[in-house]
Amino acid sequence: MLSMKNINKVFKTDLVETHALRDFNLDVEEGEFVAVTGPSGSGKTTFLNIAGLLEGFTHGDFFLDGVNISNLSDNKSAAIRNEKIGFIFQGFNLIPDLNLAENVEVPLRYRGFNAKERKIRVERALEQVGLAARMKHLPTQLSGGQQQRVAIARALAGEPRFLLADEPTGNLDSLMARQVMELLEDINKAGTTIIMVTHDAELARRAQRNIQIVDGQVCDFTMYQGEQGSVAQGQSVADVAAAEVVTVASSVA
Amino acid sequence: MFFYYLDLAWRSIKKTPFLSLLMVLAISIGIGITITTLNIYKMASVNPAGERSSSLFAVQLMSQDPDTWENLSKQITYQDAFNLLDSEVPVRQAAMFRTGLAVQTDDVNFSPILEGVRVTGGDFFGLFKVPFLYGGPWSKQVDKEGGYKVVINEDINNKAFGGGNNVGKTLLLNRKPYQVVGITKTWHPSPKYYDVNNGAFNDSEQIYVPFSLAPIEEFESWGNNNSWRHEDIRTYQDRLNSEMHWVHYWAELTNPAMQQEYKEWLVRYVEQQKALGRFKRPDAKGEVSDVATWLAYNKVVPEDNKVLVGLSVLFLIVCLVNMLGLLLAKFLKRAPEVGVRRAIGASRLQIFSQHLVEVGLIGFCGGALGLLWAWGALSLLSSRFDLEGSLSQLDSSMWFIAPIIAVSAAIIAGIYPAWRICSTNPSIYLKSQ
Repeated sequence: MLSMKNINKVFKTDLVETHALRDFNLDVEEGEFVAVTGPSGSGKTTFLNIAGLLEGFTHGDFFLDGVNISNLSDNKSAAIRNEKIGFIFQGFNLIPDLNLAENVEVPLRYRGFNAKERKIRVERALEQVGLAARMKHLPTQLSGGQQQRVAIARALAGEPRFLLADEPTGNLDSLMARQVMELLEDINKAGTTIIMVTHDAELARRAQRNIQIVDGQVCDFTMYQGEQGSVAQGQSVADVAAAEVVTVASSVA
Repeated sequence: MFFYYLDLAWRSIKKTPFLSLLMVLAISIGIGITITTLNIYKMASVNPAGERSSSLFAVQLMSQDPDTWENLSKQITYQDAFNLLDSEVPVRQAAMFRTGLAVQTDDVNFSPILEGVRVTGGDFFGLFKVPFLYGGPWSKQVDKEGGYKVVINEDINNKAFGGGNNVGKTLLLNRKPYQVVGITKTWHPSPKYYDVNNGAFNDSEQIYVPFSLAPIEEFESWGNNNSWRHEDIRTYQDRLNSEMHWVHYWAELTNPAMQQEYKEWLVRYVEQQKALGRFKRPDAKGEVSDVATWLAYNKVVPEDNKVLVGLSVLFLIVCLVNMLGLLLAKFLKRAPEVGVRRAIGASRLQIFSQHLVEVGLIGFCGGALGLLWAWGALSLLSSRFDLEGSLSQLDSSMWFIAPIIAVSAAIIAGIYPAWRICSTNPSIYLKSQ
């Protein structure tokens, strides 16, 4: 579904060139739940921005659903983001002046749905996250966990093919983080592909596959199989706490 | 999406009321001043003759001696006016000047009033399409032989007779009885193009008497009397025979052939006068000017007005530059929200449009407020500085022009801030919001 081949992202200033991603390779299959970990400054967010078509890249090939999205126009990128990609952010990023229904409605507006269709989708998405009764509330009237659920509803309303979550539990306490994670797992089970950046190793282990990024490269992956947490571990750079190593594969460039 | 953007714009304005008010004020002051000067300019430069503009002609004669005036005078002498009336070329023609007469009626309770009066021919009403309520102009015979006939407008009719059809009744002018033959509707062409010498933007006269009565009643001239040489004028007859320029002359020439024929008639008239010892200049001539040319020749719209409009537009630009700065501050503060909108599917064009709708709404509010400023400014100018009649009235077209200018100007000022906000990289703000 998502395929990155030798992606490089270089930030240039007059004096310095910074390689945020270096020969980055990754394939994500439809329906996968991938957790992306790595130290600060390793390139996780840059990867997520490129995957979400929010940033371009210096060179390489990026295929989404088999379509090379290099050099897409802004309009086309926006349309793909709107139709195929849902975003969930650490800071929720709800628009404070809009109530919950209006927040969830925003991507549907840009998609061009009529009022009736928007209403149906908004209600369905908010029901899915258990907040249908609070449609008219403003984000400031909700707890952090509830706000994140609204953000998830907004991401789901357009029925995207995959969700990009940037530390979705980073601002939540452990109980709320668990609830949000369970919600993401349910969404994934329903068929939506999820790529989640997280610092929380505990949460990362609940994904089907872990990708670790160090210095702009995928340097390790670990595949967890089944609910008991059987593990397939790649080339180990980081200390991945896993009990049983089944097989070894490497995607290091 | 337009109504969605409008809703977002209204929310944004409510969210930052002080900043929004500052922007509305900035543009409203600029619009207020621009509309004030534009209104004065427009009212001054309007051609009140409309489609008749090209068939009505002011007649001028260069009758002065050499080494005197170099330009064509705006008026002609009485004797030339009298002679020009002999021409059979124009469809209609009228000589005219302004005088003042005391108005009385048979009613002893009616207090006499001194009114400006137009002394002219019966063709005047057809020439300038003066609308009648009752009756009509006096006859050709009155124009030739003189007769105590009068045409009044409805205001005088109301004052003197209490309104209604009073054709046939008698009105006393300077204690002489005049028979009312026609009552016109209120008619105030602006500018008063048939006589721009006596306040181009003042109201028209309300009473009209025959030009043929001038030698009999010896009406004074309440207008400009210009002489190019010294003449010993002791009697009214001296005045009529003098070379003093004090009469306006208009002719209706409905097609180019007629205009050419009349010009040729004027050439012959000039030659005839030369033979009689007048019109001594080698370049003596007669000339006709249609209404538009006449208004330009008389500089009815002073150059100062154009300069004022230019200055007010410059002031509007200064206001817009202020607004641009405020918009930039307001929009860039919203970058995180824009980042979210971009991330969830808004294109740059959609963000750009959203922000332009907002500046358009601010511009519209500024335009509405600017109209109020303009109305206030014109009222103030009218009351404090004696701004002439119609110039102090806000033209109805300004109700459309002001919002259009305001919205367009605001959008121009908003293009850069809107472009900046839609061009920012959304990913920068998504993490930091």
